[in-house]
Parts: sequence; C-alpha cells; structure tokens
Amino acid sequence: MGKIPPAVRTVPFPASSLLKNRQAVVQSEIPNPPPKPHRFPNKTPKKNAPQTPKLPTISFTSPSLSDAKTLFNSLVNSTPADLKFHNSLLQSYATVSSLDDATSLLRHMTKTHPAFSPDHSTYQVLLTKSCYSPDPNLAAVRKTLTLMATEGFPPDKATTDVAVRSLCNAGRLEHAVELVKEFCLKNSPPDSVTYNFLIKHLCRTRTVSSVNGFIKEMRESFAVKPDLVSYTILIDNVCNRKNLREATRLLGLLGEDGFKPDCYVYNIVMKGYCMLSQGSEVLWVYKKMKEEGVEPDMVTYNTLIFGLSKSGRVKEARKFLGVMAEMGLSPDEVTYTSLMNGMCRERNASGALELLEEMEAKGCSPNSCTYNTLLHGLCKAKLLGKAIELYGVMKAGDVKLETGSYGTFLRTLCRNGRVAEAYEVFDYAVESKSLKDVVAYSTLESILKWLKKAKEQGLAV
Amino acid sequence: MLPRMKKAITENPKKLSNLIDLVNLPSTLRDFLGQSQISRLGCFMRVWSYIKANNLQDPNNKNVVNCDDKLRSILLGKPQVELAELPTLIKLHFPKEPK
Repeated sequence: MGKIPPAVRTVPFPASSLLKNRQAVVQSEIPNPPPKPHRFPNKTPKKNAPQTPKLPTISFTSPSLSDAKTLFNSLVNSTPADLKFHNSLLQSYATVSSLDDATSLLRHMTKTHPAFSPDHSTYQVLLTKSCYSPDPNLAAVRKTLTLMATEGFPPDKATTDVAVRSLCNAGRLEHAVELVKEFCLKNSPPDSVTYNFLIKHLCRTRTVSSVNGFIKEMRESFAVKPDLVSYTILIDNVCNRKNLREATRLLGLLGEDGFKPDCYVYNIVMKGYCMLSQGSEVLWVYKKMKEEGVEPDMVTYNTLIFGLSKSGRVKEARKFLGVMAEMGLSPDEVTYTSLMNGMCRERNASGALELLEEMEAKGCSPNSCTYNTLLHGLCKAKLLGKAIELYGVMKAGDVKLETGSYGTFLRTLCRNGRVAEAYEVFDYAVESKSLKDVVAYSTLESILKWLKKAKEQGLAV
Repeated sequence: MLPRMKKAITENPKKLSNLIDLVNLPSTLRDFLGQSQISRLGCFMRVWSYIKANNLQDPNNKNVVNCDDKLRSILLGKPQVELAELPTLIKLHFPKEPK
C-alpha cells in the first residue's frame, strides 16, 4: 500500500493534452516517417512504377555508396521528381549507411536528377542521421547545419525541433542543451513546443535545481520564457518527487509570469498532495479551484477521491460521488477502486464488496486493480471465504494477480491450513503470467518458511 | 506478527542467482529429472508438476503428498511429505556454495 495503484497512476497527468499543439509543427515540417528497412534483400525494384500512381518502396540494404548510386540510377528515369519519394530513398539509405555516404548520395541525387530539388525536409533527414550517430561532440551536427545553410536553408524553428528531438531521443541531452543555446545565438530560438520537449526530457534525468538553472539561463540570456505547459511539466516533475515546497514556489512564479493555473495544473498539485496522503491539502486544492472558477474535471474528482480515501477520509470521499453526479460526471472504475481501497484500509471489506455490487449495477465494470484491491482487503479483514469466491471470479475472467494481493492471499490461505489451495493460486499466478516465476515462487517459499515458524510457536493451524 | 513483505527478489542479485542459476545435480536428482543441470526454481516446478501429473496428493488431505518410489528417492525417503515443506526439502539438494 502507499503506492498509487496503476489504474489511478495513469490518469492524473493527461500528457496527451500537453501535446495538443505539437501536432501542427510535426505534421507540416517533418518528413514522413521513414519506411522500415526490410529484413530481406529487395533486389529487383518494381518496373511498373511510372504507370501506377503509387511509388515503389525501395529500401537499401547495403551501406556501400556505389551500390546505392547504381540503384538510384536504375530508378532515376522511371520515377518522377517526387520529393517525398526521394526523401524516403535518402532516409532508407541513411539508416544503413554513414552520414558522409548519405550526404554524398544526396549530392549524387541532385546531380543526376536535376528536376529534384531538395528542400528542408530532405536536409532534415541528414540532420536526424547526424544527431543519432554516436559522436563525442556536435561536429557532425554542425557540419550538416553548415551544409544546410550553404544550400540556402538556414536553421529555423523546424530545424531546431528536429535536431533537439533527435538528440534527446538518442540520449544526448547535454548536446541538445548546447545546441539550443547555439541556435538562440543564431536568432533561431526554439518555439514553445521544442522548448517544452527539452524540459520534459531534462526533468526525467536531471535534478530539479539543474533544470531550474537551465530555465533561468534561457530566460535571462535568450529571453526564452516558459509558458503554462512548461510550468505544468515542471510542477508535475516536482510533485512526482514529492517536493511540494518547490511546487508551491513554481505556482507563485507561474502567477508572476501572468499565467493562471488551469485544471491540469491543479490536478497535478492535487496528485502531489495525494502522494503525501495529506487529505486536508487535497481538499484545499479543490476549494481553491472552485474559488478561482476553474471547472474540475473527471481527473480532479478521481484524484480527490483517491487522496481522501488514502488519507483515511472515506466518508468525505464518498460524498463526492454525489457531487460528481450533480456535475454530470459518472464515476468510473478508478473512482470506485479508490473508494474501495479506502474502505479496505479501514478494514471495511464487506462495505467495499457492497460497493462492487453498486458499481456493477451502474454498468461500470471493474478492472484488475479493483479485483486486486478487493482481494487484498478481504484477506486482511479475515473474510477468507469471500476472498476465495472473488478469486474464482478473477480466475474465470483471466484477471491477473498483483504482487501485493497475491502475497496476502497466499499467506491467508496458508495460515488457515489450506496449503494445497495456495499451491493452486501459485500455479494460476504462473500460468496467467501475473508475476514472474521467480517472484511467485520466492513469495510462496518465504510464506511457507514463515508458516513453519508460526506453527512451532503455536500461532497457526 | 507477520513478516513485512520483503523487497521483490528480483532486486537482490544474490538471492536471484541462488534461485535461477543452473547447478550440477547429484545422481539421485539426475535420475529423477533426466537432466544433469537445473536451477532450484526449475527443480521445484518439475517436482510439483510431477506430483500433479501423478495425482500424488492425498485425496483426504490435499496438503499431504503420498510419495511414490521415484519421489521418495529424492525426498529423504519419506513415505509422506507435507506440501508446505516441499521447498525446504528441495533446497536440501542445493547447498550453499562455500566461499
């Protein structure tokens, strides 16, 4: 216990909503995703290309430049000067070759096929390639950028975005930061989407203070300011690290920058207090939202009910079911599971069981987390009969067991002298791949060891 | 009271290797399993599935296993063992390596 169950964990931070304005950039400026290279050699390019509007997918399998040139020459007369097609050719070759060879191929392509004029997206293929190539410094990236500049494509926002993304994905955060600063000096500062992407990656690996340092530097040296999304990412990061003091400071900063916290920010702060089981603060955030006129959403209520249940205030949490109904929101399995969790903490497993019936009556079907919470609760409340019944339902529905409930259930069975049934549960856990064999077995082993000791002391049957 | 659930075994490399490393088997086990190397986990699984396959659990008390000759040879020659002591008995074949 004390951990946020997976069903709840996924909900409070709606990451997709943070990405909503990213789509625009990505779609318009980044070339189509590269065709995956085939495993088998595709030796004979299809000959019927000119007649059909659909262009053949060619993939290069050999890193040899001369082979690639020959293949391109064989295609050159049969294909129109379609930009996308050429980009995909280059992309395909770049996945198997070195950066220099890919650059040479591009040069060869423009020479032998004058109708084809490479644009931004073509050079971005090379740029991506240079970002992914292992390199102790940024030499390759710089070289590509210089090439782009001489060909008439000075770095712009899209270039920045492509480079930063590729560097981050290649795990070269240090270089991404360096490059962003360089771009800023060249009057091509990252747009908010790129900036937020970088911040998100920094948050994953760096300490809070070093991220703050980066943001301060960007603000002071290059006038790149964090926006509301940046703040949301930052606050989420510190809340996940249970650093609510820093979250409060960031909330203040956010206000100073002229932003008003929205629903997502409040949800995240609320989640932070949930992690610390501070029920009063969770309620305080809710009240604050109401005061500020921010409409709570489903995530807010789920977080609120989870937090209150976790800090032992199930009764209050239950009242919010009514509030949700008034708002026209219908509680989902996450809401109910949180409540059941709270009830089980109070050893009120039969109440939780009633809630299961209520929820099913309302047409909301329980998920595996619900079942595991209940199983754990029933065992702790010494309602073994009910627990075995529930286990039967779980087994019939192929519901996986979680480590915690598995251990509790096994221990309760053994304590009541039902070792054979415990072995059967062990078999189910292994068969259904709920747990790794090793974990399932070591749990069983340590429980049996404990049982032996308990028997010697006359504590168990 | 109850022992707190220990940290997942996967986080403890020593215990993990104790469980899944292949070990050269003594002749008795070799005859039973038909192979010369197995891990402690694998051995337990094989013995347990042998018990299930041959219906060796006592019909009146499922917690007890009535050993057949083959099984008896690897479980200290006991005619009857409790399921609860099965892991301990199997562990006897996998002594700690002296270091």
